[in-house]
Amino acid sequence: MIEFRDVSASYDGELAVLDRVSFTIPNGDFVAFVGTNGAGKSTTMRLINGLLKPTAGDVLIDGVSTANLRTSELAAKVGFLFQNPDRQICCNTVREELMFGFKAQGRECADAEGRVDAMIERFGFDPDAEPFLLNRGTRQLLALASIIVLETPVIVLDEPTTGLDFRECSKVMEIIAGLNVRGTTVIMVCHDMEVTADYAKRVIAMTEGHVVDDGPTFEVLRNPNTLQRAHLLPSQIVDISMRLGDVAPAIASSSIARANSLDQMSTAIYEFISSHAGTGASPALGSDEGLGA
Amino acid sequence: MKGFLEYVPGDSVLHRMNPVAKLVCALFISVACFCTSSFMLLALILIIDFALAASCKMTRQAAQLAKAVAIFSVVLAVIALLTTPVGTELVQLPWGYIGTGSIAAAALVLMRLVACAVPLFLVMYITKLNDLANSMVKILHVPYKYAFTFTSAVHFIPVFMNDMAGIMEAQTARGVEFDGGFAKKVRLMVPLCVPLLVSSVRKTNSAAIAAEVRGFNVRTRQSGFKAYPFSARDVVALLACVCILALAIATNYVPIP
Ligand SMILES: Nc1ncnc2c1ncn2[C@@H]1O[C@H](COP(=O)(O)OP(=O)(O)OP(=O)(O)O)[C@@H](O)[C@H]1O
Ligand SMILES: [Mg+2]
Repeated sequence: MIEFRDVSASYDGELAVLDRVSFTIPNGDFVAFVGTNGAGKSTTMRLINGLLKPTAGDVLIDGVSTANLRTSELAAKVGFLFQNPDRQICCNTVREELMFGFKAQGRECADAEGRVDAMIERFGFDPDAEPFLLNRGTRQLLALASIIVLETPVIVLDEPTTGLDFRECSKVMEIIAGLNVRGTTVIMVCHDMEVTADYAKRVIAMTEGHVVDDGPTFEVLRNPNTLQRAHLLPSQIVDISMRLGDVAPAIASSSIARANSLDQMSTAIYEFISSHAGTGASPALGSDEGLGA
Repeated sequence: MKGFLEYVPGDSVLHRMNPVAKLVCALFISVACFCTSSFMLLALILIIDFALAASCKMTRQAAQLAKAVAIFSVVLAVIALLTTPVGTELVQLPWGYIGTGSIAAAALVLMRLVACAVPLFLVMYITKLNDLANSMVKILHVPYKYAFTFTSAVHFIPVFMNDMAGIMEAQTARGVEFDGGFAKKVRLMVPLCVPLLVSSVRKTNSAAIAAEVRGFNVRTRQSGFKAYPFSARDVVALLACVCILALAIATNYVPIP
């Protein structure tokens, strides 16, 4: 469990980058932090793994304040994927890179080799490849793999999908979602609302060092006040369902106005059309050329 | 170390001086430090250094610099201390002795290096790099290629330092412990030179391409728009620095403590 209690933080000791931020993330949650550039999302991530200590308030990991823990101790609990994989990768081969975390933490892990092999198998890496020569997506996957091979109970991801193409992005997110299903707490910073809507269970929206909204993904994405304050655009399905809901009361009361995913939206539209088919006029649009006509 | 050697905007007399004049003045003062062995004069130069720094509100940076340079020069000072058997004997060494003169020699090394480094670094803080490079091209006829190499090199220092900090941060997050002794720290940092090197090469490469596509090769001495005329102020400053240099040389013939 991760707990922020009135946390303020600053880099130079003067300007507060975070201002009294509080939230609690229970084990097994999947949280996305969203918000404008410079809102303080990365700073929040740094606070979680102790790279930065709060200037006021307290960050508690499983009830222990990070102020009393070294980052290297926290590394066993919190895996951290940086936005730029090149800052993380430092070994000569893919295999060494995957082993690096075990060595760095001095963890005597009997099945380290086995886990590394499993990871190589799962991601389809060439174990002897030179990490720096891999392409951008593969480097990102390698950085991710070298974190999740350690099987930390919490993983923190700073913009894990930025700069990846659709296929790589889905690959990364499916792996992360798989970890979450098996109980890992996932905390990620994400600018892509489609990814956020597809994967996150909960969204924390930030602007200028404050938490603007915190709640289940679609409650946050459907809150016009939050969207405006955090300068967010909801995912396209949510956007279209909200817009259609505004057009006519009949749609607003149908499941179209509550559809959050492509599947839900297609089902809702199909149901809507079916139920209005053969009625002659479409009550939804109030004209003869309506949807069901 | 954010802002290391980075231009700090200001409107002081020194800020407004001609960039080349500033650089030449700083060079004169630095050379003067090496031409003299007089404590009095070195102390005077140090005072002048800090007075100049204060005049452009750079006292804090100058003090930081002085401290950093002093730390680096301690090694040289210790060598001077051990290898200059002069004056009344204080400590017997297998190869000589440490005397009162040795202590003076060590102190001289320290003072000389600090007094010499401060003005040179100060120039970086109070002059825009572009102005420095462009004026060197215009006035001193330095080929633009070299001026550009120089400015990019200085420009990349904070970038690399930032990169190194980021890389160390990433490794700390993976469990590497950088806190500990100096030797341990260095041992841990060596493998990190790989990612630093990779990112540097990538950056350098893209900087080169960016320069190329913006017509780097067609640039000549006349290309710069801004003119860098000398004013009376610059001439006075240069004369003053020549006087300091002359004084420094004179101390070798006229004995002053
Ligand atoms: N190392 C640093 N030193 C000083 N200030 C910093 C540092 N890193 C970030 N900041 C400042 O802190 C503020 C918050 O930055 P942060 O990186 O947390 O934003 P962010 O929400 O992650 O933004 P982005 O979406 O651009 O990644 C910004 O104003 C930024 O300029
Ligand atoms: Mg960020």
